[in-house]
Amino acid sequence: MVSTPRERKWQMVVDMDRCTGCQACVVACQVENNIPINSESHYQQGRAMQWIRIERYWEGEFPNVKARFIPFLCQQCNNAPCEPVCPVFATYHNNEGLNVQVYNRCVGTRFCANNCPYHARSFNFWEPVWPEAMRNQLNPDVTVRSRGIMEKCTFCIQRIRRAELDAKREGREVRDGDFQPACAQACPTSALVFGDSKDPASRVNEAAKSSRRFRLREELGTEPNVIYLSKVDPEARGAAGHA
Amino acid sequence: MPKARSHFLILGSLVGLGGLVVLGAVVFFLGNAWFGLPVNAQAPVQPIAFPHTVHAGTEASGGVGIDCTFCHRNVDKGPTATVPSVQQCMFCHSKITGAGSASPTAETEITKLRDASAAGEPVNWIRVHRLPDHVQFVHDVHITYLMANPGKIVNVTPVINPDGTADAGQTCSTCHGDVAKMAAVQQVRALKMGDCVDCHRQNNAYTDCAACHY
Repeated sequence: MVSTPRERKWQMVVDMDRCTGCQACVVACQVENNIPINSESHYQQGRAMQWIRIERYWEGEFPNVKARFIPFLCQQCNNAPCEPVCPVFATYHNNEGLNVQVYNRCVGTRFCANNCPYHARSFNFWEPVWPEAMRNQLNPDVTVRSRGIMEKCTFCIQRIRRAELDAKREGREVRDGDFQPACAQACPTSALVFGDSKDPASRVNEAAKSSRRFRLREELGTEPNVIYLSKVDPEARGAAGHA
Repeated sequence: MPKARSHFLILGSLVGLGGLVVLGAVVFFLGNAWFGLPVNAQAPVQPIAFPHTVHAGTEASGGVGIDCTFCHRNVDKGPTATVPSVQQCMFCHSKITGAGSASPTAETEITKLRDASAAGEPVNWIRVHRLPDHVQFVHDVHITYLMANPGKIVNVTPVINPDGTADAGQTCSTCHGDVAKMAAVQQVRALKMGDCVDCHRQNNAYTDCAACHY
């Protein structure tokens, strides 16, 4: 019996040309991964918990201002700066290319979050609470993290595991499109594409071939596994004389 | 000895003694937590004294020999074993009232179940085998593996089919012990991470942290 699955490397492509900044991914992530509800004061203190967030910025001068959106999530870096600084090996790289956070190992030093150039990690400064009516909506496949634990996007590893088990029950390998993370599933414009980059026929591989491809802060050498496709802006290009 | 000094000595020894008692309590608590089984693992008193001996025990030992998977229906299909609903108990117990049973308690206990069914209330069983929330355990893949490798089954001698496999109901004892011989279910194996990892190593299974912790 083969216990180690085919070698995988999970990747995500974020097409910024499709992103409308609607925040559906943010909500889906919050619900799927049992992330505590943030209040206004949490944001003011810089202690809001989000595994994916939409950063908004403005381009151009008034009156020709354009709102731009860019979804930020854990980049699952190949050379992750968060990993070597953890004193208890609570964050490490597994053979699926995932940057894993082991909650029961974490002692809450927050070194990893301080070393993350993408601000992708959130720390549980409080014991998470949900309104009584929402207790039963918690996802049983995801650990509820207690106070003092670092957490971040897992590429919905619970869905990866579920897809693997389903495939195992049927005696086959995981196929492209068997599952997708909550954010990609919720995205109304399919701006997020997820899959195994070692599968030559996967949609993520196809999307990553685009000439618009770039990765965030590539100059740091973190080798992110989230690939962004830049915005197509005919007007801007016209203004710059490229069109 | 000056009076003030003896006061100081008495006070100091009292504080020292108190400290020793606190230290001893801490050591006892930690040792108990580390080496002992979790709360409720040692045959807690259930709301209905359900005897696995009668239901799952062999006919030779006075049981009716129901297969584990008949009641724990999801155990070989998904992550959780599931405890049967009251309706499922009533498949049999709508007829079996326990009247005239050799056991003196059978009728009272079965009446509790039938009352619960009549009232449409669930039975609040006390959970015996419980893993921490940060562990994700999946029953069916473990069962499938043991069905294909019956040599790994421990605690009972499994019935092996002609093709060399075992039925799902034969595999449970590996982690849960011989439940069919337990009048009140208790945890027999530590079921701590070391236990899981030892077995995973011996069987060349996944030992990535993220196999179970996510």
